[in-house]
Amino acid sequence: MSDHDLELVKLKKVYPGGTLAVEAFDLKVKKGEFISFVGPSGCGKTTTLRMIAGLESITSGNLLIRGKDFTTVRAEDRPTATIFQNYAIFPHMTVAENIAFGLQVRGKEPAEVKRRVDAIIETLQIGDIRDARESALSGGQKQRVSLARGLVTEPDILLLDEPLGALDANLRKSIQEELKILQRDLGITFIFVTHAQSEALSMGDRVVVMNSGRVEQISEPFELYTRPKSPFVARFIGRNKIIEGKLGGLSDGRATVETAFGPLAGIPSFDAGHVASGGAVFVVAPSEYVEILPAGQAAAEPGYDTISGTVSTIEPVGQVVYVTVELPGMAPIRIEAYRDKIEGAGLAPGASVDLRWKAERATVVAA
Amino acid sequence: MQSNNLLRTILGAYTGLFILFLYGPFIVMGILSFQAGPEGGPQFPIIEWSTYWYQHVFGLTPPSRVAPLPIGEALLRSLTLAFATMVVSTVLGTLTAQGFRRNFRGSGFVFYLVVLGMMVPGVLLGLGMALVADQVGIDRTWWGTAFVLHVVYTFPFAFLVMLAIFNRFDKSVEEAAWALGVPPGRTFRKVTFPMIFPGVLSAMLFAFTLSYDEFPRTLFTAGSDVTMPIAIYGTFAVEIHPNIFAFGVLTTLFSFALLSVYGVLMTLSVRRAKTAAVQEEIA
Repeated sequence: MSDHDLELVKLKKVYPGGTLAVEAFDLKVKKGEFISFVGPSGCGKTTTLRMIAGLESITSGNLLIRGKDFTTVRAEDRPTATIFQNYAIFPHMTVAENIAFGLQVRGKEPAEVKRRVDAIIETLQIGDIRDARESALSGGQKQRVSLARGLVTEPDILLLDEPLGALDANLRKSIQEELKILQRDLGITFIFVTHAQSEALSMGDRVVVMNSGRVEQISEPFELYTRPKSPFVARFIGRNKIIEGKLGGLSDGRATVETAFGPLAGIPSFDAGHVASGGAVFVVAPSEYVEILPAGQAAAEPGYDTISGTVSTIEPVGQVVYVTVELPGMAPIRIEAYRDKIEGAGLAPGASVDLRWKAERATVVAA
Repeated sequence: MQSNNLLRTILGAYTGLFILFLYGPFIVMGILSFQAGPEGGPQFPIIEWSTYWYQHVFGLTPPSRVAPLPIGEALLRSLTLAFATMVVSTVLGTLTAQGFRRNFRGSGFVFYLVVLGMMVPGVLLGLGMALVADQVGIDRTWWGTAFVLHVVYTFPFAFLVMLAIFNRFDKSVEEAAWALGVPPGRTFRKVTFPMIFPGVLSAMLFAFTLSYDEFPRTLFTAGSDVTMPIAIYGTFAVEIHPNIFAFGVLTTLFSFALLSVYGVLMTLSVRRAKTAAVQEEIA
């Protein structure tokens, strides 16, 4: 018996036309873990999910569920259940029939089917719609029915393909929380595909970031947010300020980078020797850590990275203001700051400012 | 405004003509079918209103110089043939359309090959089939050579109907079934088929009606035991009596009955979903 509910070993998918959809995907998922797959559309996250479900053939590599090889097993014989983006409720069956279908196919006794269907209907609180058909259901109700239909078969792994994509923002929020609680209570492993980074970060125990068929990073949400490992992740996740430069040197776990603003420091995301001295890198600073100060005040404090620019606009939005700062040689940066702080410092458009952050908060990634 | 009125007039006239030509022949036939018999002929004026020719169709009149329509067996043959054609064409059409849901090599070629069956002129196909049958030494029969041509002719219609249905079919419902552990065969029976059933009904209706009144392909291939359209044609090759009109009226009523059954089945399958929706709204 393996400790892992799911293992992907160099999973690869090439479509018949020769398009590479997923490349060398390695992942080990512990029992009861909630994994989010996130990335732009076409990055291969849904294809990977469909390979796990058995709806897409695997070109090479292996798929193990609880230590058993399922690489070539057909979809109907896999211990997984899938929740589809459009829910795919069977329109000619009632809600209860939809839920019972998977159990009936497994040849369960009618009494057991009824007991289990009743139980899951109770859990998801959909008793009032048990005899309704798909055409009568709202988006949120369809979502619950499709969850019930998947969970009633007691799968080892629940696969969710953008299940919240079709819901409005408020409902999304509440179902996100419900899903998370449900998953914790049931202890079932969830693989959750989404294109929304906030969703991936708030739901996942670990997050897999994908881009053009490749896995960019697999990390816990906080680490992903604060320590991106590639320029793609730095741009896709969070609100990072990204400054390009050349690697100066590595020492004591710090990297120094030569940039247009002078030397900046940060924690490297790569191993020593991976990037040669003088190689292209980016300094990534999460905007939450960026302070804005009138020019000159930031000087002479050690352990900070500082860059200088000119304020171009200040947009107040209630308590906070968005300050746009023009920087020489790169795109302007928008900083969020408290209104009283900006007004207290007497900053106005045209003022010279320094932007600074603690060097230990910054990450240096290979370009 | 001016041009709007003009357009309205033209459209009105067009609709009037359309209805006239659609129903005119049938109405004239319907009126003439009530001509007095056996002396009354297929022309106005009506000598006297009577149901003589209806009785004549069913052989309830005393023998006269007008021979009874030879339709008893022909009608049975036509219905049997139409039914068999409907079953075979609908099954084939549905399965072929199902096959076309995946792109396979040569699918374009196969598509045109199938559709050719309804494009080739019927007379040519009938004549060609007759020649081939004679060469090979197959007897020409309504249940053999004619049946094959009926399938060749109606199968493309059923196929195109089902292709359109599958085009709008949401594949993820089938995938959901597989993911729930339902094998493909059972998925087709329990999920796909119930969802495409209205389309299957339409395909059946097409196949049945097209086969039922098929003439040119049948003329050369049915052999000596003819189907109804050929039998009817045979009678008015000599002389036309209003008994044919009476029969025409009966056939049309039969077709309407068939359409009504189709309509009722359609409404039922649509309403089932709707009722659930309404109940939900009330609750």
